[in-house]
Amino acid sequence: MLKIITKEDLHKILISLLSGFEIIGPRELSHKGIFYEPITDMKSLYWGEGFATEPVKKFFLSPSEYLFKGRYDNGKEVLDDLPLTRNKRIIIGVRPCEAIGLTLLDKVFNADEYKDEFYLNNRERTILVGLSCLKPDKSCFCTSLGGSPESNRGLDVLIFLGGNEFIIEIITETAKEILKNSGRDLSQAETKAWELDRKRRKESLNYRIEVPESLDKIFESEYWEDVSRSCISCGVCTFLCPTCHCFDLVDEKRKKLRCYDGCAFCDFTLEASGVNPRLAKKERYRQRVFHKFDYFKKNFKENLCVGCGRCIRFCPVKINIAEVVDKAPLVKS
Amino acid sequence: MVEELRVKARELLKNKQVELVIGYQRASDGVSATPCFIENEKDTDLLIWDAYCVYNLSSYLKDHPGRKIGIVAKDCDLRSVVVLLQENQLKRENLFILEMECQGVIDERRLQFSDKQNQEISFAQKCKSCQSSKLSISDYVIKDRGEKRKTPDDYDEYGPIRKMEVKATSERLKFWQEEFFRCIRCYACRQICPMCYCPKCVAEQAQPFWFSKAINLEGNFSWNVTRAMHLAGRCIDCGECERACPVGIPLRDINKKIEKDVKELFSYEAGSSTEAKSLFACFNKNDPEGFIK
Amino acid sequence: MIEEKDWEPKIVAFLCNWCSYAGADLAGTSRMEYPPNVRIIRVPCSGRMNPLFVIKCLMKGVDGVLISGCHINDCHYSEGNFYARRRFAVFKKLLEYMGIDPRRFQMSWVSASEGDKWAKVVGELVDEMKSAGPNRFADRLENHGLPSDRQTHSDEVEVT
Repeated sequence: MLKIITKEDLHKILISLLSGFEIIGPRELSHKGIFYEPITDMKSLYWGEGFATEPVKKFFLSPSEYLFKGRYDNGKEVLDDLPLTRNKRIIIGVRPCEAIGLTLLDKVFNADEYKDEFYLNNRERTILVGLSCLKPDKSCFCTSLGGSPESNRGLDVLIFLGGNEFIIEIITETAKEILKNSGRDLSQAETKAWELDRKRRKESLNYRIEVPESLDKIFESEYWEDVSRSCISCGVCTFLCPTCHCFDLVDEKRKKLRCYDGCAFCDFTLEASGVNPRLAKKERYRQRVFHKFDYFKKNFKENLCVGCGRCIRFCPVKINIAEVVDKAPLVKS
Repeated sequence: MVEELRVKARELLKNKQVELVIGYQRASDGVSATPCFIENEKDTDLLIWDAYCVYNLSSYLKDHPGRKIGIVAKDCDLRSVVVLLQENQLKRENLFILEMECQGVIDERRLQFSDKQNQEISFAQKCKSCQSSKLSISDYVIKDRGEKRKTPDDYDEYGPIRKMEVKATSERLKFWQEEFFRCIRCYACRQICPMCYCPKCVAEQAQPFWFSKAINLEGNFSWNVTRAMHLAGRCIDCGECERACPVGIPLRDINKKIEKDVKELFSYEAGSSTEAKSLFACFNKNDPEGFIK
Repeated sequence: MIEEKDWEPKIVAFLCNWCSYAGADLAGTSRMEYPPNVRIIRVPCSGRMNPLFVIKCLMKGVDGVLISGCHINDCHYSEGNFYARRRFAVFKKLLEYMGIDPRRFQMSWVSASEGDKWAKVVGELVDEMKSAGPNRFADRLENHGLPSDRQTHSDEVEVT
């Protein structure tokens, strides 16, 4: 379902929704970046071309949350679940790559074998309103991984900016319920123009890489030593990735904390015995590439990467994982 | 300058004076720089030198113990080498220091978020207070034969610190709470800092447990204040921590505050001489004690 | 939550074993009166003190922290208090810069014979804490500004 709506009318709708939903959207902090934050004043919403530093993953798989707590009840140990927050929310300004990232996380946290109640609760109470990318960044490569600046996969609504009027593509029933009476319908000419615009946005992404089917053959290669030399094992790429989901479980103050962790960290695979299977930096970097472009593909048929480019943009030493994969010394078919 | 650098690097590798040269090469985006590690003479053509060479390469020196290494260093990087030598983390005879006379490096984040049409390179804040080439520790200096960039005479490097100091306590708290709210504990600041070389960081210790791994303000506040204290008298303001921080926390404002206090209280400057002792490893009988009852 | 009218400041004091702890003991045996709000932790020397201890105390909600050692030139280990003096001069300024009330962290030199000085130092400290108010740092830090789904549940936190 397609509609055209003015920016002011959209703001009005959002303000009217504030009574039932928490509205989270991008806000620009000068010289620091763009961040998703709860918004009450719609004028501070950022509609520009920049991309948020942290992806929306953090609203679903929380960077740190307490899972349960323990206490003594008449000398007996008791474990209590911590209550889940139930308030509904709308996240607006989500880029298509981040939404695809969430569908990839669904494969891990919403699988037949295991359903993570914290993640699922967050998924169920959120409506995702996407924003199609007008001008991809030089480090974006979503089209090489099955994505696109105009992809609506995983979104409830997708907004296309154009001057003061937005074209909104309403995808799910939930979104239809809320938006069916807003804006006006598109004319034939407008619909055709929109379809052309969609095509143009997809083609505007020049940066393409070739992702090999499997990396098995080069597991022992010297290549990994070369590409990981400048890596500082910091964790920025992991924490800012829309698909990375490794976590650590820690006991604190009689509560169980789940917080983000990354295979890049030196101690990620440190075992209680003191043995660390991935002590060397090259082993950790190789693990990152293999998990994303080999192991996950073997398990779930898709790469664990959406080509958003955050790891490249924010890497303190400018390591480019797309180049690493593209230039892997495999015989290409 | 680049040609002289490449020639020298080739010579060092040929004569086996060094086994490895750490320098800068062009990144895949064609504009920025990225660190490069050269072991063969033919690879020396990869070396570049321009205002995009921001990194402090001395943090890689510890990764190659026992090997003879040639390092391309700017003035700020030299100071971190001095501190590492002071603390016995490096052996002087294993180092060949190639000093580049630096005219300043750009601040990529400022460039990214400023008016994109404006092509004027925006220099990093740390460069404004650079007192270049006061150290005479290098083995070889490559001079810049071009026009020297002048640093403004009246620039107060502690300007932002002084502004913060006159604010009310509650205002300062509010400022830092808002900044630390964004901290994601990625530890990029620690990993990129040449002085942070503890095998097991205090933040990772579980026994004893110092501060929470949770992304709440208690954990973030404790982490940043602790790191600042651990760098007191050792931080030489290379600015890498602030550059690496993905969410833009003004980390230099904390480290520079300690740098200012240390200068005023003890007349101590980090990285000035390899013979000097670390700040907290020595004391003066006349240290100020006005704050003690 | 802390009730304002029943609130008494909680102060943790790190005392060096040879001078300050003995001085506090002398105050006790001499039956000097001073407020009971202080919890004493004995350390071998003020030079052993780690700024992390102070941070941890303040984050846990302690209202004030005091470090007390031997007078300069009187340290049992010769130089420990020199190092402490230097270290905490920097630390105190840093804490103040980060927005923590400077009254909440203090240092003193109390010798083994200065029982009366100990009582005076504690008395003054408690008065200052009473006027500074409870350390809301801990509650404020636990949940400040976090969206509802990221908040921890501070009323269930027990000091372990």
